[in-house]
Parts: sequence; structure tokens; C-alpha cells
Amino acid sequence: MDNLITVEHLRKSYGNKVVLDDISFNAQRGQIIGLLGPNGCGKTTLIKSLTGLIKDYTGTIHIDNEEPGAYTKSLVAYLPEKSYLPDWMRPIDAISYFADFYKDFDKEKAYDMTTRFGLDMKQRVKTMSKGQQEKLRLLLVLCRNAQLYILDEPLGGVDPAARAKILDLIMENHAENSTVLISTHLISDVEYIFDRVLMISDGHLIVNAHVDEIRAKGKTVENVFKEVFSYAW
Amino acid sequence: MLGKLLKHEIRQSGRSVMMVYIAAAAVVLLIGIALLAKITWLSLLGNLILGLVAVAGVLMTLVSVIKTFYDTCYGNQGYLTFTLPVKCSTLLFSKVVTCFIWIILSLVLGAACGAMMVLNTKAMADGDLAGFFSIFQMEEIQALLPTKEMMISGVAALLANLLLSILTFVGFVYFAVTIANTRPLQKHPKLFGFLTFFVSYGVCNAIGTKLTYSLPLSLVVTEDRLKIAFTAMDSGEALFAFGLGGTLFMALVALVMLFVTGYIMEHKVNIK
Repeated sequence: MDNLITVEHLRKSYGNKVVLDDISFNAQRGQIIGLLGPNGCGKTTLIKSLTGLIKDYTGTIHIDNEEPGAYTKSLVAYLPEKSYLPDWMRPIDAISYFADFYKDFDKEKAYDMTTRFGLDMKQRVKTMSKGQQEKLRLLLVLCRNAQLYILDEPLGGVDPAARAKILDLIMENHAENSTVLISTHLISDVEYIFDRVLMISDGHLIVNAHVDEIRAKGKTVENVFKEVFSYAW
Repeated sequence: MLGKLLKHEIRQSGRSVMMVYIAAAAVVLLIGIALLAKITWLSLLGNLILGLVAVAGVLMTLVSVIKTFYDTCYGNQGYLTFTLPVKCSTLLFSKVVTCFIWIILSLVLGAACGAMMVLNTKAMADGDLAGFFSIFQMEEIQALLPTKEMMISGVAALLANLLLSILTFVGFVYFAVTIANTRPLQKHPKLFGFLTFFVSYGVCNAIGTKLTYSLPLSLVVTEDRLKIAFTAMDSGEALFAFGLGGTLFMALVALVMLFVTGYIMEHKVNIK
């Protein structure tokens, strides 16, 4: 399998505070990768660097052999942690927006998922509940036939029953042979879907392992996470 | 992609401004009803509201242009904008074009409101609108009017000045908003945005004023037309001369600022 993401010696600091330090890893096509670490360890900064939202870093990032830019953005379906849709937008507007800009966006699937999620096509974002907004943002990402899905804390603030549904949706709807990078700190709910895990602590990549290797040692991803981040508890 | 960006940009920025246009149309309808029903106080009120709508139209447009730029680039919507598969230069260009469109429309609305107020006042006075326009056919008045050539070159000069002024406004504002959202200033973007705008505009305007008087490039009014002359405004060679140095300098600086803004968006952006 060839690499979709190649990150080499990535370093990013905010003033004197180093947030990412000498991060290097590859991600192959078709893998589901867990990006794990406690809050504030640098996961979101790494994701923002991959998606082109942060550019003032040193080191190199390549997605499909290109630096983050217009081309790589056409390959990446990104679900940020923040609510980014304008208040006035309705699902019908958001779908039209995504369909206009992303060639890989499946409009019919989006209409279908909107109905399945029980969302009103003409309800404005500002009048939606938090859960409805999250559903809308998730469907916009999953209706793309992207090569790389980057999901930043898709399970944050969601009850355990909804978490299982969200994971099922991700598993059912991501494009074939695409790479999925999921950032989370809720390990036990998610670990069964991962092929590989990256664990970041204080800006350093301290674990970059295949889940099969971890299991071969008789451990779970959560065990490793607790060993690595025991200081945080 | 530019066409799609323009479509969504116009739609987004037009949301707040559109209310003013609807209000203007409603007031014009109100005035029409008042004139037909001969209700003088309503016509007077209509004139007052038209004046307010004209001013509100321009002010709201300027505020909307700045707010939309900030929200879509450096607010939470930046996550949507900066992950679109387009170059930042294309993104910026679409925002500049949209800004031009809305400001020109708001000025057209202001001018239309002004014209409507004049006509309404005349109609209220004696209802003789045909007579009002016939004034311009009188020989005495025609003798005072500028020549056709003068009018054409005057309108062209006015339009050119208008476009350069909009460019100046957009360049300075977008630059200030973008600089204020770079990493070192990001903690207080509004404060640094205002500071950057007023300091950069103040300094450049002072230089521009100096150049308006001293640069040997002016728009000179002769007996029958306007012409460009390579003499300074304060040379005393023409009765009416308008120095062009300041306007051109400000527009040039604004253009440079737009290029720098594009560069920062492409290479230094740091969405919070």
C-alpha cells in the first residue's frame, strides 16, 4: 500500500510554547488511524496543519505527494471540532455549498441522509439543537467520496449510544480505500475500528503502532494509552 | 471556481444589506401612494425615510463588507473557507469583487434615493414634473450647463475616482483585518485591526495629500473639457486643477496591501 500522508520533522510553536516537536509519520491508503492523546497535547494543531488551516510550521507535510494547498483540500473531508456553518445556513444551503465546491460530494446521498437523520431541509442552523448541528456537519463530510477523512473529536460531547451510531455511520459511509484519521480521547468506544494508532504527548509522537502489534502483546489500545498517559490521571 | 465563490460570497454578504434595499422599495411605494392620495405629511415622512435609507444603505454595506470578510476568513467560518479547494488568491479576489459590487450598488441606491427625494419634493410643491424637467431646456440654463464633452469626461473622472476609492477602502480594510489575525496580534484582533487601519491609512493619507499638491499630474478644467496635465496642482498654471498624485498613491498602496493580504492568507494563515 502506498502512503497518502507523509509528515516529516513537523514542528509548530505558539510563541515560546512548542506544540508539535519533530513529528514524523506516514499513513497508508485504506487505513483507519486513531490520533490519541489528552486535551492540549497537539492533536488539533496537527490536524489543522494537515488541512491547511495552519501554515506557519517547519518540516514538511505531503498528502498524495503534494503540500497542503488547493489540490490536497480537494482530497480531504474534514470535520472540525468547532461549529463552522453560518447561522443562516439551512441543510439545503449547506448541501448546495458542498456540492458546488467538492466534485466528490454525493448530493443524492446527502438528501437521503438528511431525511434519515430527521433534519428539516429548511431549518436554519441557528435554530437547530447542538445534536442536529453535529449530524449536519457529519453528513456533509460523509457524503464526500474523499481520499482522506479527518475527524477531529467526532465523539466529543455525545452520549455512549450516539457514539456507537456515529462510528457505524463513519464505517459504513467513508469511501472505499480511503484513509480515515480520527482524533479522540475516548479510546474504549473507538479502538475496535482502528488499524493504527498515533499517540501524542506534549507535542511528541510517542506511539506509532499497528493495532495488531499491540494486541499481539496481549494489550488493548486503552491499556497502552493508560500506560503512556498515566501521569495525566 | 471563481464563479461559485462569487455566487456564495454575494449571497452571504447580501443578507444584511438586502433589508435596506427592501426598505427603499417599500418607501418608494409609500411615497407613490402618498402622492396619489395627496397626503402631504406622508410624502414628507417618505422623503425623510428615503434620506435615512440612503445613508443606512452605504453605512450598512461598508460594515457588512468588513464583517463578512472577518467572519468568513478568521471567525469559525474560516474552517469552511480555508478548507475549500481553491487558492487563497482566488478567494481574496472573489471577496474584492463582491465588495466592489455591493459598494457600487449602495451608492446607486443612495443616488436613486436622492433623485426620488427631489422628484417627490417637486411633485408635492406643484405636481408639475414635466415643467421641472423643462427647466433644463431653457437657453439660460443650457448656457450654464457644461458641454457634452465636459460631462462625459467629468463622469469618467468621477467613476475612475470612485473605483480607486473603493479599491483603497478594500485594500486597507482587508489588510488591517488580516494583519490583526496573524499569530502575534491574534489575541486582540479587533483592537489591532482598528489600529492597523487607522495608522496605515493616516500615514498613507498624509503622504497622499502631499503628493496631491506636489506631484506634476493633475486633472485640469479648461473651458470646454477636462484634461490630464503634467503640472502640479499648486503650479498656478490652471484656474481649476485637481492633483491626482494622492488618489493614485493611495490606490497603489491599497493594491500592494491586497497582494500582501493574499500572501499572508496563503502562507501565514493561522485559523484559531
